[in-house]
Amino acid sequence: MPPSQLKALKTSLREKGITAPSKSRKDKKNGPPTTTSGRDRATALAKIRTEMNPYEYRHISSRPAKFPSTSVKGSYKDVLLRRPGVSVSKGEEVRRKQLLPEMRGRLKSGGLVDRRIGEGDGGMGEEERAVARFARERGRNVFDLEGSDEEGGGGGLLTHGGRAIADLEDDDMKLSGDEGGSDEDDGFLVRKRQREDEEDEVVDEQPDVKKSKKEVMTELIAKSKLHKYERQKTKEDDDDLRDKLDAGMADLLPLLRAQVANNLPPPPPPKPVEVDGDVSKINPERQKLLDGMDRGAADREYEKRLRELARDTRAAPSDRTKTAEEKAKDAAEKVKELVIRREKRMRGEAVSDDEEVEHERDDSEEAAVVDEYGNEELGDDAEEFGLASAAVAKVEKVQHVDEDDFDFDADLVASASEADEESASEDDSEVEDDDAAPAAEDNEEDEFISGILGRGANAVPIADPSTKTANTSESLACPRTHADFLALIKDNAVEELELPTLIQRLRSQYLPSLAAENKAKMENFSRVLVEHLVYMAEHDQEMAVMEQVIRHLHSLSRTYAVAIAEALRARLGAWVEGSSSSEGGGGGLGVGKGDLVVLVAIGEIYPTSDHFHQVVTPAFTGVGRWLGLNAGVKGMGGEKGRVGALMVGLCVKWVGGSGRFVPEAVRFTLAALGSRGGAIGEHLENLKGMADLWKEKSAFLEIFSPFVPILRQLGKPARPTLQHLTALLDASRQARKPLMLHHHRPQALRLSNPKFEEGFNPDRHYDPDRERSEAGKLKKEFKREKKGAVRELRKDANFVAREQLRSKRVEDEEHKRRERRLVAEIQSESRN
Amino acid sequence: MLKTKTSSATDLESVDYLKERYKVYKAMLLDLLAGADSPTQSTVLTLAMRLVKEETSQDVRHAEQAWKTGVFAELVKSLIVHTACGPAREEFVEKFVEEYDDVRFYTFYTISNFLSRTDIADKPRADATGNALNLLSSIEGIPDSQDQLEDWYGETSHQPKHQLLSLTQHKKRAQEAWLAVLRSELSKDQRKNVLAIMSSRVTPWFSQVELLMDFLTDSYNFGGATSLLALSGLFYLMQEKNLDYPQFFQKLYSLLDHDLLHSKHRSRFFRLLDTFMSSTHLPAALVASFIKRLSRLALLAPPGAIVVVLPWIYNMLKKHPTCTFMIHREIRDPAARKRLEEEGMSDPFNMLEEDPMATRAIDSCLWEIEILQGHYHPNVATLAKIISEQFTKRNYNLEDFLDHSYAGLIDAELGKELKKAPVVEFEIPKRIFTTEEGRLDRLGSLLSNAIGGS
Repeated sequence: MPPSQLKALKTSLREKGITAPSKSRKDKKNGPPTTTSGRDRATALAKIRTEMNPYEYRHISSRPAKFPSTSVKGSYKDVLLRRPGVSVSKGEEVRRKQLLPEMRGRLKSGGLVDRRIGEGDGGMGEEERAVARFARERGRNVFDLEGSDEEGGGGGLLTHGGRAIADLEDDDMKLSGDEGGSDEDDGFLVRKRQREDEEDEVVDEQPDVKKSKKEVMTELIAKSKLHKYERQKTKEDDDDLRDKLDAGMADLLPLLRAQVANNLPPPPPPKPVEVDGDVSKINPERQKLLDGMDRGAADREYEKRLRELARDTRAAPSDRTKTAEEKAKDAAEKVKELVIRREKRMRGEAVSDDEEVEHERDDSEEAAVVDEYGNEELGDDAEEFGLASAAVAKVEKVQHVDEDDFDFDADLVASASEADEESASEDDSEVEDDDAAPAAEDNEEDEFISGILGRGANAVPIADPSTKTANTSESLACPRTHADFLALIKDNAVEELELPTLIQRLRSQYLPSLAAENKAKMENFSRVLVEHLVYMAEHDQEMAVMEQVIRHLHSLSRTYAVAIAEALRARLGAWVEGSSSSEGGGGGLGVGKGDLVVLVAIGEIYPTSDHFHQVVTPAFTGVGRWLGLNAGVKGMGGEKGRVGALMVGLCVKWVGGSGRFVPEAVRFTLAALGSRGGAIGEHLENLKGMADLWKEKSAFLEIFSPFVPILRQLGKPARPTLQHLTALLDASRQARKPLMLHHHRPQALRLSNPKFEEGFNPDRHYDPDRERSEAGKLKKEFKREKKGAVRELRKDANFVAREQLRSKRVEDEEHKRRERRLVAEIQSESRN
Repeated sequence: MLKTKTSSATDLESVDYLKERYKVYKAMLLDLLAGADSPTQSTVLTLAMRLVKEETSQDVRHAEQAWKTGVFAELVKSLIVHTACGPAREEFVEKFVEEYDDVRFYTFYTISNFLSRTDIADKPRADATGNALNLLSSIEGIPDSQDQLEDWYGETSHQPKHQLLSLTQHKKRAQEAWLAVLRSELSKDQRKNVLAIMSSRVTPWFSQVELLMDFLTDSYNFGGATSLLALSGLFYLMQEKNLDYPQFFQKLYSLLDHDLLHSKHRSRFFRLLDTFMSSTHLPAALVASFIKRLSRLALLAPPGAIVVVLPWIYNMLKKHPTCTFMIHREIRDPAARKRLEEEGMSDPFNMLEEDPMATRAIDSCLWEIEILQGHYHPNVATLAKIISEQFTKRNYNLEDFLDHSYAGLIDAELGKELKKAPVVEFEIPKRIFTTEEGRLDRLGSLLSNAIGGS
């Protein structure tokens, strides 16, 4: 509720100091009388009077004072008073000037307009008129022919539409400030608006007397001078302060240095620095230059010093030699980190640069066009899950191998090659522990690494000591193809068991750190080794040797990951196509010895727990396919049963880390046990492995219940497995709960309109539909214009009516007067 | 050629003699057809057809008689009866049946005529049926309109109303021939073959498709892949011809057996299943039975089948929200919850129950889907996760998920370039095949067993 008028009056009076609150006597005695002087008092009273008068002033905006901050345009805040009385009289004046002549000349045509200077001006004497006209005539340009009939305006002034440019600009500025600019020719409404604007001009800032222009200017100049002086003053003060600080710097610096390098040998005692005024502040270099030293020499010296500074090696802390415990701790941390990364990959999370894959997916999602019902019509639903038909050639981005992902690999390589270098130079010093190998403390691991490096051949259990001498004596050619390798084996008469030694020698001879081309050679050799692994399996060579070859491949994989992966993938592809030299029958159903060994090697070399892996995933799918297609009951007794046992064993091993589910393995084992073929023991072992692996899963019952009757039928050999399985089944039944997969937070519906706006302004429109808001604006403008026009027309009509009435009255008066005179005349005549 | 009425006795005698010789020649010729190799068969066929040409190029009445009883009928019969004359049969279809409308017309006539005879023993009949089926199913050119009947082997001057000029008559003959074949005992493979070509080669001949009803119903009751194949035909009849098939859904449910997801007709079945189950007015208990049974089967299914089942289940759950209790069941009753804590939950679903309304699947949960979320193939695992995420998508287009196979999945990965180096296991194992003592460990012994060496 607004305060009452009386209260408002009282408070404003008090604020202006016209009425003071009743003072105590003491105050009255002490303080001088606070009542303002007479003149001030008068102006203050006048101001209060006008403020309190609700009819004299009114707010421009008719909006209630509810949103005082928002409904007002910025700085106009306290100027927002206008005087309706004044503006009415002004409008009246304008009408009189413009409308009245129009009205009077309405029924008249033609006629003369007297534009002579001072003709209609009663205040000008005859003399003055003549002088003005003469001056005008003198000032006119003799050659200005066109300006000849322009007499009323300002002579040489530029005009537009009969008005001086200066006036125009004024108008334009006003318009653009208020309405955003409109043209002169816009017609009545605009003219009317101009008129209104002129009325608005009446709105004034302060009710008191306006200062003259000169006064304002002088005030301005005085102010700016004052500011300038103040600025200079503060600058000088700052300079003084800075000088003082600079002078103290010499004392401060040694202290600072001491603080920074507190663990370095104590700094030399601070040199005495002369702090005697100006000289100390100038750089000695500069001083020299000032003193007249050769400029070129100075530049040269500057350059030299700059270069020295750039080349200067900064002090860096060197790596401290670590203790054994610290090393162990580091190694453990490294392993921990690697395990964490593996687990991340297992869950299918992006480890580092996998975001690219995400982007790709995003792209493909964007590509899918969403129709008006929200269905993706063109997009293949299956593609989202990577199940696009293989025939569709996907456009793939060229991706560069991101080193980041393999930072730890690079680390491994680096440290390995460091170790390599040491040993390759036949240095007998201790081979540094390879912290790449997680169990580096383990002695056997040491042996393995040094074994790879071609030292201490006795560390390799199967290596022949006799090769030790040959090791250093002759050099071997790095085999480019598998045929080369076989020839090499034959030439050197390497026996089967000596093969790892041969590989060691090759590896140490072609270390990538020894020659630039060795890297490519070893890459090639890695491929050859994959081929040789297959060859060995096909020729039934010793398992222990194959094991060593796989381990070599593994360690080579750290450096030549792509080459080995490609070789393995090619081998897999050949198996899947059925074109590999498999002996177990053609088509996809067969599997060769080489394929089996390759599968085993893949499982050893790569992390099989990953959600997706470029080599493991296709290999796993291949295994699944073999198991799926061979799950028929027939022929389980023979080779199929044995190979199947290996395949299921591989599956169990591969999913050991991640606990993934392999339906084909279950199905195959079911068929194998059901058929009572060969290798029952192996299959039972596999079954046990699977049961242990998936015992936590809620569908355990559904998966393994079918085994129970089969195991019962098998009788005695299956009894332990049966007992184990029944126990697990019971436990699973006990632990099983209903599924609850959908504990999701309810999703909010998406709203776009209306939207919550921070700092909402009721005068602004937040309609996101641009067209609609434009239309609204136009509508509003139209309405306002219409209202204005109607009001203006009404005022004009009033004015016209008033004028007519007045002229009529004048006429009537005249008529009466004449009549009276006539009557009087007649009366007087008749009297006579 | 050899027919006369007003001839002398000697003439008659010679005519009789010639007829006799002609008969013997025909018999010899057709006997040759059965036993000879393919070039001879071809020659025989050509000769026989030349005779046919001669016989049928008489006046209309005699020509028809010649078609129906003459050398042509004999030829077709021997083609059907003798299994060995496969090449000749092929050539016959290719060179004559496909080319000449009248040959085709009378072939149908002869076949239906022959097979409807009752005096044939079982064994020859079975052979004949097989051969006839073979012959019929290799006929491709099915006329669409009257105008296409314009190639004639025999006499061409038919009067306008003649049956050879009527498409309906042609179709009728073909329909009769097919029905004759289908009425006979068909082996399982033959049945499957017929069902496989049903829509392309059989139904176009039929002006009354309803006549196939018996055959389709029998096939549907046959079980296994045959049922799957009969399903589409049966569905067509139910939809268009108002065929009433009692307990259709029960039968359909019984088709969901262990071989279904491994069958090569898998995608065909799922296309139909999607149509059958598209109604929103099906009882929830029935839908739940289908969902539960399929997810149970998916436990042992190949990835290609799992990726069909999962989106199908999603669509079903979306369509029948009552069934979503199968994936999210909160027990609110404290007593029941306590009991659950103590005793666990056994699956109320009865896999052996044949009536889909009585399996109690609606009270069960889809634990199978949960384990499939840990499938070894990453794409399958990801797809299985859709069941436990919010059901924001309206439905999945099942067609996109059909026809995936092992080969496709492997090729999809191996077909790509190796863009970046694969992650390598950081730990190099000390032993792979051998134990400390130098013997083979489990993996090693498995491998050596599998390789068959040592």
